[in-house]
Amino acid sequence: MDDVEKAILISFDESGTLDSGLKSQAVNFCQRIKETPSICTLCIEKLCFCKLVQVQFWCLQTLHEVIRVKYGSMSLEEKNFIRKSVFSMACLERIDDKLCAVLESPTFIKNKLTQVLVTLVYFEYPLIWSSVFVDFLPHLSKGAVVIDMFSRLLNALDDELISLDYPRTSEEVAVAGRVKDAMRQQCVAQIVRAWYDIVSMYRNSDPEICTTVLDCMRRYISWIDIGLIVNDAFIPLLFELILLDGLSEQLRGAAAGCVLAVVSKRMDAQSKLTLLKSLQISRVFGLISDDNDSDLVLRVAALITGYAVEVLESSKRLNSEDAKVVSMELLDEVLPTVFYVMQNCEMDATFSIVQFLSGYVATMKTLSPLQEKQMLHISHILEVIRTQIRYDPMYRNNLDVLDKIGMEEEDRMVEFRKDLFVLLRNVGRVAPEVTQIFIRNSFASAIASSSDRNVEEVEAALSLLYALGESVTDEAMRAGTGLLSELVTNLLSTRFPCHSNRVVALVYLETITRYMKFVQENAQYIPLVLAAFLDERGIHHPNINVSRRASYLFMRVVKLLKSKLLLFIETILQSLQDVVARFTSMNFACKEPSGSEDGAHIFEAIGLLIGMEDVPLEKQSDYLSSLLTPLCQQVEAMLMNAKILTPEEYPLKIANIQQIIVAINALSKGFSERLATASRPAIGHMFKQTLDVLLQILVVFPRVEPLRTKVLSFIHRMVDTLGASVFPYLPKALEQLLAESEPKEMVGFLLLLNQLICKFSTLVHDILEEVFPAIAGRIFSAIRRIADSSGPEANTEEIRELLELQKTLYTFLHVITTHNLSSVFLSPKSRGYLTSIMQLLLHTSCHHKDINTRKACVQIFIRLIKDWCARPYGEEKVPGFQSFMIETFATNCCLYSVLDKSFEFGDANTLILFGEIVLAQKVMYEKFGDDFLVHFVSKGFPSAHCPQNLVEQYCQKLKGSDIKALRSFYQSLIENLRLQQNGSLVFR
Amino acid sequence: MALPNQQTVDYPSFKLVIVGDGGTGKTTFVKRHLTGEFEKKYEPTIGVEVHPLDFFTNCGKIRFYCWDTAGQEKFGGLRDGYYIHGQCAIIMFDVTARLTYKNVPTWHRDLCRVCENIPIVLCGNKVDVKNRQVKAKQVTFHRKKNLQYYEISAKSNYNFEKPFLYLARKLAGDANLHFVESPALAPPEVHIDLAAQQQHEAELAAAASQPLPDDDDDAFE
Repeated sequence: MDDVEKAILISFDESGTLDSGLKSQAVNFCQRIKETPSICTLCIEKLCFCKLVQVQFWCLQTLHEVIRVKYGSMSLEEKNFIRKSVFSMACLERIDDKLCAVLESPTFIKNKLTQVLVTLVYFEYPLIWSSVFVDFLPHLSKGAVVIDMFSRLLNALDDELISLDYPRTSEEVAVAGRVKDAMRQQCVAQIVRAWYDIVSMYRNSDPEICTTVLDCMRRYISWIDIGLIVNDAFIPLLFELILLDGLSEQLRGAAAGCVLAVVSKRMDAQSKLTLLKSLQISRVFGLISDDNDSDLVLRVAALITGYAVEVLESSKRLNSEDAKVVSMELLDEVLPTVFYVMQNCEMDATFSIVQFLSGYVATMKTLSPLQEKQMLHISHILEVIRTQIRYDPMYRNNLDVLDKIGMEEEDRMVEFRKDLFVLLRNVGRVAPEVTQIFIRNSFASAIASSSDRNVEEVEAALSLLYALGESVTDEAMRAGTGLLSELVTNLLSTRFPCHSNRVVALVYLETITRYMKFVQENAQYIPLVLAAFLDERGIHHPNINVSRRASYLFMRVVKLLKSKLLLFIETILQSLQDVVARFTSMNFACKEPSGSEDGAHIFEAIGLLIGMEDVPLEKQSDYLSSLLTPLCQQVEAMLMNAKILTPEEYPLKIANIQQIIVAINALSKGFSERLATASRPAIGHMFKQTLDVLLQILVVFPRVEPLRTKVLSFIHRMVDTLGASVFPYLPKALEQLLAESEPKEMVGFLLLLNQLICKFSTLVHDILEEVFPAIAGRIFSAIRRIADSSGPEANTEEIRELLELQKTLYTFLHVITTHNLSSVFLSPKSRGYLTSIMQLLLHTSCHHKDINTRKACVQIFIRLIKDWCARPYGEEKVPGFQSFMIETFATNCCLYSVLDKSFEFGDANTLILFGEIVLAQKVMYEKFGDDFLVHFVSKGFPSAHCPQNLVEQYCQKLKGSDIKALRSFYQSLIENLRLQQNGSLVFR
Repeated sequence: MALPNQQTVDYPSFKLVIVGDGGTGKTTFVKRHLTGEFEKKYEPTIGVEVHPLDFFTNCGKIRFYCWDTAGQEKFGGLRDGYYIHGQCAIIMFDVTARLTYKNVPTWHRDLCRVCENIPIVLCGNKVDVKNRQVKAKQVTFHRKKNLQYYEISAKSNYNFEKPFLYLARKLAGDANLHFVESPALAPPEVHIDLAAQQQHEAELAAAASQPLPDDDDDAFE
């Protein structure tokens, strides 16, 4: 062993026993050797004589590197030498009378050798080394070793140069094109001939080499002349191989792979159809058998599905009647096997069942009426859908208790089902009857199925029915068209033994709710619906997830059927007694609360029922007080004991109170303002008493944020239910809500005021005037912190909350001005904030990043001009306002802010803002007359270098009555000015 | 298979090669495993770091010698020489950098040239980053080549064990093999948005039912 070999062995050492200094030395040594001029000769010599794989590998790696990097600078002689040597190695020729042993080495050495060869092909084929492939062919007769090497060479050529699976530079693509063209002209026919001969000769003696050859050929079919394969010799050979029982499965599979490549080859649709027909694909159907997931079956399955895809594709692209008939015949022939494959075999990863079936169903839309055969296909498709959407029983327990695995599986299935349900609905449209019959039968067989799979069968059948319901029209649903009526009544009257399972119980309730419009028209089924929701299938289901969902769905059902439920109120309340008692009984507080929204839906449903005007007053009062009284008593009791709560009790009590407020809140939704104030004030009175109690919470627990939020939303509710009669409660409530409120709570508080203003307009003037100064003071001191912070640290939760508050403030100010309440800003106590408000609005109207907020601010200004600057000029209502508008607002907002390039006329929202800005000018002219116009054209326009003629046109348009014309003129004016300045002027 | 002074062990051990573009997080990934990080050996001369990562399965302990070829471009190194005798591999790309995914086929080809027929896992790393460029449904390469694909986040330890479990099962030829105890991992540096991730996984599941994009542009001659 010489030094080079030693060094290579050391640097490739994986044993971990060598000193790293030595290793470092070895690596450096090898690196130096690589730089010597005779390196290629050295490598080839070593390849011939040394049998150490590390040395061989290093030599081939080095050769590859040298050729790749230094090809241009190598001498002709050297290139000739390398070419001749590596070619000889690859086809077992003697070099200087010695037989080089590279082909006896492990496969990765052979692969490295092909890499070197392909690099030479890259530089030299076809111009310099035109004979590389042709010269190889005679050596194939030496047997499997050389055939294997030849296949490796072609595979490497595909991987390294031709295949489009890899990112390539444009130069590489050009070389690939050159190589393919030359090969097509020169040697592809001979290579295919060689493949044919090899497979014919070795099929029995060496199936392995035949498999290698066919796997290689498969890669080339996409770009060689298809006639070389599709002919009387090769196609029969391939099918013979596929069908020959007893032959190696790999070889048969490889042959199937070649046929699939033929089938998938790009060509025009008519030739494709002719080709597909000529193949007589039905020959291979028999190979698909159920108890066999062998490689062969999978490859034949891939062939059949690939074939079906191509037939379908051709039929879509061809319009002639003949072609349609042929493609339909071919499809009819292949589809039964395709369906079988879909249900029984592991599918090829490249094949999408849903996409194929959707494509097929789409072709049926144009075929009407459907033939018997197609009806049969449709029922097969439905069968496939059902199989695909069915859960695997192995997940039954996971899904029932909804653990991590169950959740993953459920999420996966929800997503997976989406496309399949789209397909189902398409099928339902093409063949409604078949679909409904299929679902009915699924239902029946699911009920009859054995317990090891009934959960999954039932769940699948119900899910199908649910999905179908999504596409049924309202009319059809109401009328129960076709089998719908039978399906729904079946659904309602069936009890499944597996109803205790979560997934079954859930989809059952969802499906009932889905078809509620049918029940609405067929009231005789109402008792069945109520039973399903009220017994252990629904709200009383042992699984908490089911009973929660049932409560929500029940509420929706009640909303829809309300008027038909009058006679059932008593029954419903009785069934719900235990659920309600969890909230109303005095020992409720001892229990572990599960969530503050729990119970809300039940109480909302009850409220909807007992809040109807058809319920006699006396009954209504009884119902309501039987709920409100105990709930309020509990709150009162807790408020009284608040002082003596231990730290352990505290969170639980707070949670209890929250739940109670939420329940009362939900309950009150069923009572309209008309009922509570006009027709039955006694009911209103009960809610007022409740409000009294709940407002106490703010006094006793002033700083408990969740409670404040809950009380706040209850006040919102009471504004709706009690109308103006809620006013007496407001001053105190608002005062308490405002006290010590954080920015986040302040937002909620402003929303309540917005609700009040929108509902009562000027009626709330006095209340608003009273609280406004405190609000303004609080907010302005809070949002000052926004301006103080900047940079990345500004992105904190606190700043986000303040920004949210500021945004709500704009809405608040907007709501005030648009509801005739701008006088509130002028009250003695508020007046001190006027300047701050104006400055904020001005800045926002010019610079805020949200265009809609800017628009709101401009609208506020427009409104204020109208409110405060009545013509003819008398004494100024708000001294200084007019000059502020003329001198500051007009130039900054109406001119400079729109001149800025960031003001994009292409954006729809910006255009609306622009409209408001133009309107503002119009209104200013109307109210301020020439005071505005003179200042605007003499101070504003000159600073923007506006030409005099445009200024004159502007005045004309502004004085005119056509606001649209003014708007489009002003836009062109601004665009004109922007062009002139070309961004050279800074305005601000 | 170990490097200097690394103990050879008396339980099954496998050479695992980790490849992928620079910056995709190969080194961060293997360093999450604390024992491996503790015992790693670095060979600056050939630019490779070998981390022995132990896992405890129901069939006993196994070890992956993870050959992290970080920085090899800079050192010259052995390049595909590292792959020799590789028994399994991880190809890593970065879901926030599209080019790293585009290069996956090339890494796969270079790997397979030296290691024919070894189990390979494709890993899309950095799924914790909000602004991803390679969406789950765009990842189709693994289906063409029959690889396993996992979305991982080395920084948050998300799915750290999945690639190893898959490889262990393939190497043992036992689909039911499972890990019985978790390896000690470095604490997560970021917390993954699980909701967003579930969305991606759902996309992935949905994508699995889509056909592969057709790259063959050659028309019929």
